[in-house]
Amino acid sequence: MSILTQRAWSPYLAGIVVGLLQIPAFLLMGTALGTSSSYVTISANLASFVDPSILEIKYAANHVAGAKNWWQVALIVGIALGAFISSRLSGTPRWGHSPVWAKAMGAHTPLRRNMMASLGGFIMVFGARIADGCTSGHGVSGIAQLAIGSFIAVTAMFGAGMIAANLIYKRV
Amino acid sequence: MSVFAAILLGLAMGAVFGMALEKGRMCEGGVILCQMQMSRHAMLKMFLSAVATGLIVLAILTGFGFAKLSPKATLFAADVVGGAILGVGIVIAGACPGTVLAQIGSGYRDAIYTFVGGLFGALAFTYLEPNLLKPVLTAGSYGKLTLDQLVGVPFPALALGFAAIIIGFLVWLEKVSPWRAEIGPNADGMPALADAGGLLPPGVKSA
Repeated sequence: MSILTQRAWSPYLAGIVVGLLQIPAFLLMGTALGTSSSYVTISANLASFVDPSILEIKYAANHVAGAKNWWQVALIVGIALGAFISSRLSGTPRWGHSPVWAKAMGAHTPLRRNMMASLGGFIMVFGARIADGCTSGHGVSGIAQLAIGSFIAVTAMFGAGMIAANLIYKRV
Repeated sequence: MSVFAAILLGLAMGAVFGMALEKGRMCEGGVILCQMQMSRHAMLKMFLSAVATGLIVLAILTGFGFAKLSPKATLFAADVVGGAILGVGIVIAGACPGTVLAQIGSGYRDAIYTFVGGLFGALAFTYLEPNLLKPVLTAGSYGKLTLDQLVGVPFPALALGFAAIIIGFLVWLEKVSPWRAEIGPNADGMPALADAGGLLPPGVKSA
């Protein structure tokens, strides 16, 4: 149990564990690890209560049902669950906001941070859907398959991210 | 596979994924932001370790015929534009679409806003995709192109070679910037705080 009660693993061990998850993903689901298309599954299903015509959009219809789509929704729910268990086992639960934001934003208030978090979340998933993948789908899984599109997307992601990180926030 | 079995499998795999993200400290916005500012490299180390492991796993699985690759299609314009927007969003949020769930699980409240923002981002894309975005999405389409096809080397050989290069780079990176120092005394990716005469909140360790 002691490995589960540690506050931090080396990033190498943590990365190896994620890489090994490709084995059940490929052998049992016939797909690679990914997280961002589950946002479409969840939001299109919720939106269909208000606007049933969303299901006439092919992109929405392709994402609302089926084993692969719900597997990925379960995967992100599992991520929250695993992180919850891990942080409680190690006595490292967090609350509120990370102290990094006060340092990065200067005039930091909870409201400003929540607005930035909402905006960032919107932009992040919007971009991931245009690129058809995020840090896991294009990054971890795409590069591991030597996919050219994933090399391009990850280069654009880190390139734009590095510029934005220095323009938007103070150095932390 | 039935939807029910897929959900059980997803939950189990997600729990392992989430634990690895939390123990790797990717649940900390500071770790993501520091990486993008290139001051500390825990995220790159975990990312490249996952890629190298994936390369080795897939070299074996495809080499022995246990699995087939499922690479995404190369869409030049969509990959560049979408990737860049994704990168900016990751910086502003201090999270990726996957790690935000690890932030929620570890207790950060702002991560709930990030996640809900992400749901609206997915919804906006869904509504815009057929009309506004289709021309961008399909420009520079090359199909499911992979590096091994491009250079004419079998995937397992190229994957193992590429994994070896990544591992070599990580050995060097760890020498110049050890991970324990990068994670910091509070495991939040922040450098050690100077103890301001007992003014630190309870539970926060000084240097």
